[in-house]
Amino acid sequence: MRIISSFLCPVLCVSLAAVAADEKPGVIPEKLAGLFAAQGKDGKPTITPEQRTYFDGLNDRLKALLIKTVEAEVITRPEHLGTILALGLRPQKMEILLQDNCILCHTDPEVQKPETLLTLSPAPGKTPSHLNLQDFVDDVHFLRGLSCAGCHGGDPGSDKLEHSFVKEWPSAGRDKDRGWILSFCARCHSDSTFMNRFNPALPTDQLAKYKDSPHGKFLLEARDARAPDCLSCHGVHGIRSAKNPLSKVYRKRVPETCGACHSDAKRMAGLTLSDGSPMPTNQLAEYRASVHGRALLERGDLGAPACNNCHGNHAAMPIGLSSVSQSCSLCHAGNASLFDGSKHKQAFEEHKWPQCAKCHGNHVIAKTHDSMLAAGQESLCNKCHQQYAKDNPECNATATYFYTSLAQMDQVWNEFGVTADRLAMKGLDVDPIHDKLNELADSLKQARSHIHSFSKNDFQRAADPGEKAVLGISRLVEEAKAEYRFRQLGLVTTIALMGLVMLALYVKLRRLER
Amino acid sequence: MSDSGHGQGWLGWLDRRYQITPLIEFLRHKEVPKGPHSMVWYYLGGMTMFFFLVQVVTGVLLLMYYQPGEATAYESIRYLTTKVPFGWLMRSVHCWSAHLMIISLVTHMFSTMMLKAYRPPRELTWVTGYILFALTLGFGFSGYLLPWNKLAFFATSVGTDLVKSVPLIGNWLLQVLRGGPDVTANTLYRFFALHVVILPLAFVSLIGVHLLFVQRQGMAPPLGAKVAPRGMRFFPSFALRDLLLWLVCFMVLLVLAVFVPYGPGIPGMDWELGQKADPLAPAFPGIKPEWYFLWEYQLLKEFPPHLFGLEGPQLCLLVVSLLLGIWAIIPWLDRQAQREQPSPGFSDFGWGAILFLTFLTLKAWDIGAMEPATSGSSLKVISRTCAWWTIGAGAVIIGIRWLLHRHRWFVFTGAALLHVVLHGWLGLPYLVAGVIAAVLAAVGIAMIFLRTAERRVNPGGSR
Repeated sequence: MRIISSFLCPVLCVSLAAVAADEKPGVIPEKLAGLFAAQGKDGKPTITPEQRTYFDGLNDRLKALLIKTVEAEVITRPEHLGTILALGLRPQKMEILLQDNCILCHTDPEVQKPETLLTLSPAPGKTPSHLNLQDFVDDVHFLRGLSCAGCHGGDPGSDKLEHSFVKEWPSAGRDKDRGWILSFCARCHSDSTFMNRFNPALPTDQLAKYKDSPHGKFLLEARDARAPDCLSCHGVHGIRSAKNPLSKVYRKRVPETCGACHSDAKRMAGLTLSDGSPMPTNQLAEYRASVHGRALLERGDLGAPACNNCHGNHAAMPIGLSSVSQSCSLCHAGNASLFDGSKHKQAFEEHKWPQCAKCHGNHVIAKTHDSMLAAGQESLCNKCHQQYAKDNPECNATATYFYTSLAQMDQVWNEFGVTADRLAMKGLDVDPIHDKLNELADSLKQARSHIHSFSKNDFQRAADPGEKAVLGISRLVEEAKAEYRFRQLGLVTTIALMGLVMLALYVKLRRLER
Repeated sequence: MSDSGHGQGWLGWLDRRYQITPLIEFLRHKEVPKGPHSMVWYYLGGMTMFFFLVQVVTGVLLLMYYQPGEATAYESIRYLTTKVPFGWLMRSVHCWSAHLMIISLVTHMFSTMMLKAYRPPRELTWVTGYILFALTLGFGFSGYLLPWNKLAFFATSVGTDLVKSVPLIGNWLLQVLRGGPDVTANTLYRFFALHVVILPLAFVSLIGVHLLFVQRQGMAPPLGAKVAPRGMRFFPSFALRDLLLWLVCFMVLLVLAVFVPYGPGIPGMDWELGQKADPLAPAFPGIKPEWYFLWEYQLLKEFPPHLFGLEGPQLCLLVVSLLLGIWAIIPWLDRQAQREQPSPGFSDFGWGAILFLTFLTLKAWDIGAMEPATSGSSLKVISRTCAWWTIGAGAVIIGIRWLLHRHRWFVFTGAALLHVVLHGWLGLPYLVAGVIAAVLAAVGIAMIFLRTAERRVNPGGSR
């Protein structure tokens, strides 16, 4: 008994101590308790159970900060407290928010007018869209501790609740000439030492590139209010990393962001391209219908290019290219290299034709098909050569040769693919056929690429393995069919023999029972 | 030494050494009863055994190439079916024979049930047959995993997960079954051991007992045969007929194996090898077990996650165990058959069970599904379509029994059809419809009992 009690006593003491510790949450002061207990006109508590649960889950430091805020009467109304808790911020963000008097004051609906109120439910037509509180706390700058004062100035820790702006913030005419925005953002984004503290991987040459771009010249030299600035693409509050799907510059959203201006005929009115032709407004529609647009926007393939992959981000075009028409080579390097080594390279340069775009188009790049090479009116080769190289019949003959070879291989690949599936359903081993079909598919892809060399020899070198594979497939399919015939014959023979045995048994049975 | 006079032939040689005369005499005089019903039911047991023998032979041949193991199981089956001469035929025959064996076994069991062949003194024959049926399902379940392909892997994961619902020892049982918390190579090894050693030993032993009972007691004569029925000599008349049927079965098996090598392609009856199992890959939707487990799979889906303080699968397991328990002790429940009197209630119970299983199986096959099959409207259409088919089948069964066999006992079939109507047509939840049908069936049975008791007390009373 003594042993048991000597064992149980410490256990009991430890348990009681643990329970006592659990029951020692921070005492909620009267003011905060009053806010939690407040009821709306409908008799329901203003602070929802979810908001209360969120508060209960906060660590002691955050609870103390919130209590301090309430005690200092920065938060005095339950609706105001509800707005803060409803954000459900993780501790790091909540700490920033609770120490920022700018946000705390601008989220109080009793103090602020709709046009200065940061709110989760903006009043339609009254609250500007950039004052969405959720966007604000999701902003990439807020995440790194840069809040209102980072751009607008002032002391967020001061209790005086007064406004003071940084010197770069224009006191008036901010919307008239928006060129100031560039230098405003560049204060930090062009400062590599400063940026290194937050995101060392982020370049700091955006402003330099932008100044050199048509957009930059349009804004800074022509002083045209239609020209885009940083905020046009990145937004105001609620700026997110380009990797965030909600960002305006996330790859899938880039076409929509660019199209907001470039599809607007009114906005583009009077603008011209470098060749003097009017600025088109159908790029977005064409892009959406293109192979690239469908890959990115319909299939969600983030490897597919958006506007900025060819036209550049802040600069006019991607680094290292002298013309947008060369941007295809960034992805289609093999085809570009073959083209560069072909006779067409020189001819295109003489005519000052864009390289790939001449045959494939720029924004409306459709899926290629072998008939582009075929003789006839649809043939791309024919169309040009009738006009520019009438005296060289060899060119059309080469195109026809390409077409004939590709069409034959494609036909075999399709037909034998179906045959292989049928044979597989019959229980035959079609793995060797599939191996050969894969060889054929590889060769077909290579051969299609090698038409950009415009050389029969180069093309044939790529097509040779495919033509060998075709012979191999034909042989394997015949073997598989012969094996199936053998199975059927074997079955018929077996059944015939068994039938004879059964007949003999039946006759024997009848004799025995007679 | 026997002096029955088998002479100097090989029988005489054997008889002098092993005294086989009594055995020969037994075979010579053994008879199979001939009754008013069709003889075809007597051949089903033999047919099932034939398919089992095919399983043994093809299984042994497959065993010569099969290598259990995570890195070898799938590859060896692939090699067997693509490179080994006639390996494809062995696998195809093995798979087809497995399914045909279950079809023939189920038919054998239901025919025994309908003809009341389980009545005394053959109760233990029924029980051994019942255990043989369970072992056959075990063969199917364990063999399914052996190719170690994607479908088998996930179906086994889902299937074994059910044992967790067994009270108290569920988790332990799961560990034992899988050889760990998850389906791994350990599961494959123990399923292999089950499939090729443990189950065959148990099965062969039990078949021995089952056949011994049949031999000792003879085949069950028709119910109520007061005089000894006419007999057919077992040897050679019945045995040769058996052999002829076996040859027909073998022919069918070969034709199916050559022309439909991977099964008819319906869910639960398809054994194309497909892709190798990948334990790290996410489970894909629409994993379904073999067709003979589909009813239970569907029944599990009909149960809510929690009910009456129990988990849905636990309750489902309880209901299934109860039904299977009743099925096992039918010979002792059926008092009328014990008195050699017709027991239409138990026949009706058998038909009700068939309709119950049919509806669930059809539902599991998503008969009548629209795209997407899992949408609420599609599930309603599936229930309605399956209800139509089940009611159609039920009408045919009732019609035949009523008009041809003059049966008047339709409480269980009626309850099964009412259940289907309430759920499939009127849209009541499956369990609610089931409870209503069960309560009405209980009331119906109580009324029948009361009326019967009244008649006994007052045989000449007014109708």
